[in-house]
Parts: sequence; structure tokens; C-alpha cells
Amino acid sequence: MTDAFVSAKAVFRDGGLVIDEPAAMRNKPLANRFYFYLMMPAIIVLACITLYPFFWLIFMSLHKVDMGAAGDTWNNFKNWTRLGSDRKFVQGWWLLLKYSSLCMLFEVSLGIMLALILNRSKWEKLLVTVFLMPMMMAPVIAGLVWYYLFNSTFGWYHWLMQSLGILGDKSILGDKATAMWGIVIVDVWQWTPLIILIVLAGLKRVPRDQLEANMVDGAGEIRNFFSITLPNLYPFLLIAVLLRFMDNFRFIDAILVLTGGGPANSTKILPTYLFDVSFTFFKLGRGAAIALTLLVVTIILGMILVKLFENPSTTKSSEA
Amino acid sequence: MASITINNVWKYYGDTPAVKDLNLVCHDGEFVSILGPSGCGKSSTLRMLAGLEHISAGEVLFDETKVNDLPPKDRNLAMVFENYALYPHKTVYQNMANSLVIQKVDKATIDEKVKHAAELLELTPLLNRKPLELSGGQKQRTAIGRAIVREPALFLFDEPIAHLDAKLRAHMRSELKIMQRKLGTTMIYVTHDQLEALSMADRIAVMRDGVLQQMGTPKEIYNNPTNHWVAGFIGEPAMNFLDCNLGTVSGNTALEHSAFSIPLTSEQSQNLLGSGAEQSVTLGIRPDDVSISTNPSEKHSIEGEVLVTELLGGDMLVEAQIEGSRVTVKTDPSYEADMGDQCYLAFDSARWHLFDINTGSTLF
Repeated sequence: MTDAFVSAKAVFRDGGLVIDEPAAMRNKPLANRFYFYLMMPAIIVLACITLYPFFWLIFMSLHKVDMGAAGDTWNNFKNWTRLGSDRKFVQGWWLLLKYSSLCMLFEVSLGIMLALILNRSKWEKLLVTVFLMPMMMAPVIAGLVWYYLFNSTFGWYHWLMQSLGILGDKSILGDKATAMWGIVIVDVWQWTPLIILIVLAGLKRVPRDQLEANMVDGAGEIRNFFSITLPNLYPFLLIAVLLRFMDNFRFIDAILVLTGGGPANSTKILPTYLFDVSFTFFKLGRGAAIALTLLVVTIILGMILVKLFENPSTTKSSEA
Repeated sequence: MASITINNVWKYYGDTPAVKDLNLVCHDGEFVSILGPSGCGKSSTLRMLAGLEHISAGEVLFDETKVNDLPPKDRNLAMVFENYALYPHKTVYQNMANSLVIQKVDKATIDEKVKHAAELLELTPLLNRKPLELSGGQKQRTAIGRAIVREPALFLFDEPIAHLDAKLRAHMRSELKIMQRKLGTTMIYVTHDQLEALSMADRIAVMRDGVLQQMGTPKEIYNNPTNHWVAGFIGEPAMNFLDCNLGTVSGNTALEHSAFSIPLTSEQSQNLLGSGAEQSVTLGIRPDDVSISTNPSEKHSIEGEVLVTELLGGDMLVEAQIEGSRVTVKTDPSYEADMGDQCYLAFDSARWHLFDINTGSTLF
């Protein structure tokens, strides 16, 4: 190290005295190796709990998995090739995208609206606590609560919808046309609070002087929201959307309790179908293949969102 | 163009008054600076003019129109914020065009005006950059560009150059002044930096604790401060204050201090008679109006000891201890002195001020 310091020379350049950083100081192999050793325990634990299952998943997707004595046999990509002709797989994807887009649309727009109201409310803290309650509930419990609310004989919500003349005689979860809305409502009810929370945090960070500058420039409230508040919320919304997208791809507890994917598969979004394939019919090889498609799409979506997030000029606010 | 009249304006935040009974007139095309330490109510005043802050009492007139209840967008003014408040997601061009886009001006006109302003401010090569890619000075010029593109009746500047480095700040002072003269737009400029106010403004309003202390041209404020506080606030290095008694020396009124006794001019004694001054007064004299010498003479009669010297490049400050007080003297760097050296001071009695020791008001 001392050598490195000694080798630094001051030279005149650009009209002033300049010292170049010696090359030796730039690569510090010793220090780097030390940090690597420090990280080893974490890396080993991670490898056991995530990498091993991941590779095992790939292995399974290429085999006919038999949990009995026969063992796993190579089946020439049959798990994969059959996916294309699997109507429920394709439909599962379509329903998943529909389901998460609907959830996202309502959660984000409702979340922003409610956060805007809360942000101006005198009772903000109290209201936030109240609004957060659904989120505190285990998804299975939420599913059960709504299952009873939707019940066509004694469900309060069902009664309300019927009294308002929206529903007719049908049951919400029992009808192909409305079951999807049923599970969307539950997800929106449970997870909008998360969006509210994130957006509320974002609203506190919207620079007041930008809003004021825009007002002086001639903007009214609505224009101010769209041209200043919303762009400043952008990074926060990205986080919220990323979290919710990934959750929608994973959380099926409420759906399993509410509809189990029915009626007539109208709510059989891909993760529920995956559950059926793997844990009802125990076709673990096919299940693994489906799970991998889910994983790849989740990763790609995540990468796109993170990429958008990294764009500095859109996400960071100007600081003096 | 517009003239601004502020009549008996008060601003309360809760129960705390931030601006107290402010009266101020800014003529059409005038460059008025509101000067004061932080918390004196200058920014609140500016924000009330912009319509960003509710006016608790009193009225604000633009020309003859009362604007108290007009929202900012209907006041036809442009404001430059302390932190520039650029829109980070918009380019320099879009930032500058914003107000015109809101007014739905046609694209060709916007383009022409933005490019003209960019040329004026030397921003042309930066038009497609976003604020994050700009230096402090460039951000600040963009903020000014955004204001001038609008061609408003009134400019409001809230410490726009406070965050620039010293060299750039000096440059921007003259640039801003030239720009304001060229455009001829009424301008209200808030600052805590007396140098900015003195060097740029046509008139200065000095505020303290929400109260307007004095309004006048830079020369008036510097040469004839209305009270002890203004006298001490304006001028760098600050004015020396010495507590003295009024006495009589051979029939003339004289200032008596433990270190000196100097007769007043007859005009000054005359002024003093009318003011009903008490026995004790505060003498105020600027470091520029004190001269120093290594040898005693009839002129340099006040004996003292050098405490410290500070070389400021073209000038030198000497802090001297005279009996009972300290006095700062601005002198030539050629003056040779060391800590502990004897020195002899002389006060320019034509340029000193006396303040009432209790109220702080100027006696002359």
C-alpha cells in the first residue's frame, strides 16, 4: 500500500496541479477476497434454499417424475411440447393476465385516489391505520370472509348487489360471467392499501416548489396532478406495480378458497392450474415446466420494471 | 408591466405573525429587493404576491386591481425559486415552454420564444437536456429562462443565486441586473445577502421580524440608515457601535467615551437638540470611515492596540482595542501592524451616526 502512495506523482496539466490516482490503488485483490469470504455463509445458505430447488425444477421439467420406486425418467421434452396443446395452460395464461391487469388497474387508480384524499385529510394517521387492516389479514382468511359475503343465501355483499339490482338472481362466484370480478374485488379490497401506503409515501416526496412553479406557470389542480405529481410518483408506482404483479403471480390462497378455479375454469388462472397439475394430479414434471414459464415471465416483467426504474431522468427529482 | 402596491398586509401562520402591517410600493419597471435575515418575512411577502400564500389581512394591488383572491395562474407573473424548482422529467426546452403550453400558445410561437430566451441565456446547446444533467448555474439560467419566456408583468425572484458558488454569483448579479434593465419588467427580488441587494436593486426594502425597517435606494440605506439595526445589518464589515455619553467641551456638545472626547459639528448639535436625545447615545461608524496610523497626531488621537489583522486582498481589516471597546478599521494593505502593536485611530465625524440607546432610532 505504501508503494502505491509513493508512486503518485503531481504533474501540471489543464492549467493546474493534478495528481493521478496510482493504478495500484484501484485494484485491491486482497480486500476484495476478504469481503468475498465474509459473504460466503450467506451465499451458501442462498444456494441451498434457492439455487438447489431451481436446478431441481429444471431437472424435473425434463423428466417424467415418479415419486414411487420407478424414479425419474427422461421423456424427451414431452412436458414442454405438451404445453402448446394444453388448452388449460394457454387459457390459464390468458386469465392470469386478465386477472392481474384488472387488479392492477383498480388497485393503482383507487390507491392513488385514496392516497390523495388521505394526504389532505386531517385524520390521515387514523385513516391509514383503518385502511391498512385488510392487508394485515392472511389471504386465506380474506378469501373465507369474502366467500361468506358473496354467498348467495346469506352473503351481505350478495344481498347488497341484488338490492341494487346489479346482480339479478345469479351468485357472484357461481356464475362464469361474474366469478372473475369476484376474485378481482377480493384482491383489490385486500391490496389497495399497499398501493395507498406506497403512494402516500411518494406524495410526501413530491417537491412543493415544483407544484408551486407549475401553478405560477398557469396550471390548475388537475394539470398540476398530471404534469407534476404523477411524474414524481412514477418510481413509487413502479415499485407498487412490481410488487403487486409478482404477488398476483404467486398468491392463489384466496382464489383457492373462493372458487378453486371454477366455475367451469373461469377463474383458473395459471398458478391455480399449476397447483392442480402438481398437487392434485401429481404430474410434477409438467408442473415444473409450467412453473418455469411463470418464473421466466416474472423475471422478464421484473427486469422491464427495474429497467424503467433505473432511468435516472425519469425517476430522480432535481436537487439543488 | 405593472406597479405593485402592498397596503397594511399581515401574514399569520397560526397565531404567529410572519409579516406585520407591511406597506410597500414598487413602481412600474422598478427593481426592488426585499432584504432581511432568515425568518424576517421576506419570503412570505413574496409568496403572498405570487398567490401561493393566503393574505391574512390587508390588500395587494397590481396596478389598480386588487389581487388578494386571484390564484397564481391569473396574476400574470413569473417566479424563480430558491431551488429552481425545475421539472425533472422535462427537458430544458419543455421546462421553459411550460407556461406557454399551458396557455395553449401555438407551437411556432413557443419555439420562437424559447429559442430566443435560450440564446439570451446561452442555453441553446442544452435545450434537450434534463435538469439532472445540468450544473447549478445552468439550472438557475433555465429557471430564469422559464420566467422570461412567459413575458410576465412581474418577476418574483426568491434568492435565486444563493446556491451558486461565489464567482458565478458575482457574475449572475450583473447579468440579472442587465437582463432586468433590458426587459424593463418590474422585479421583486428577495435575498438575505446585502451585497446582492445593494449591487442590483433600484430600491431596497429592509425587513426584520416581519416589520419593514426602511425602504430606499441602496445609497440611502447605506448612508442614512433609519435605525441601529439597519445600520448594523447593511455594510460588510459591519458598522462599529460604541456607547457614548453626551457632554460639553468648551461650550460645544461633544461625544464622550472612555477613550475619546470629540465635539460634534454645529449642524449635528442642532439636529440633536430637536431629537430630545438623552444623555447616553450609541455612536455608529463604518470601518471605512475610521483611519488608523502607527503614530499619534492631532488627527489620530484615539489610542488603541491591534488585536488582529485580516488581509482581504485589496483591503485590510484591523481590529483594534480602544479603552472599553473594539473597533474594526478598513485600511490599506500597506499598513504594517502586528498583534499587540500600538495604534492611533481617527473617526470621520462627517460620516458617523448617532442612535438612541433605548429605541435604536437614528438621531442623525
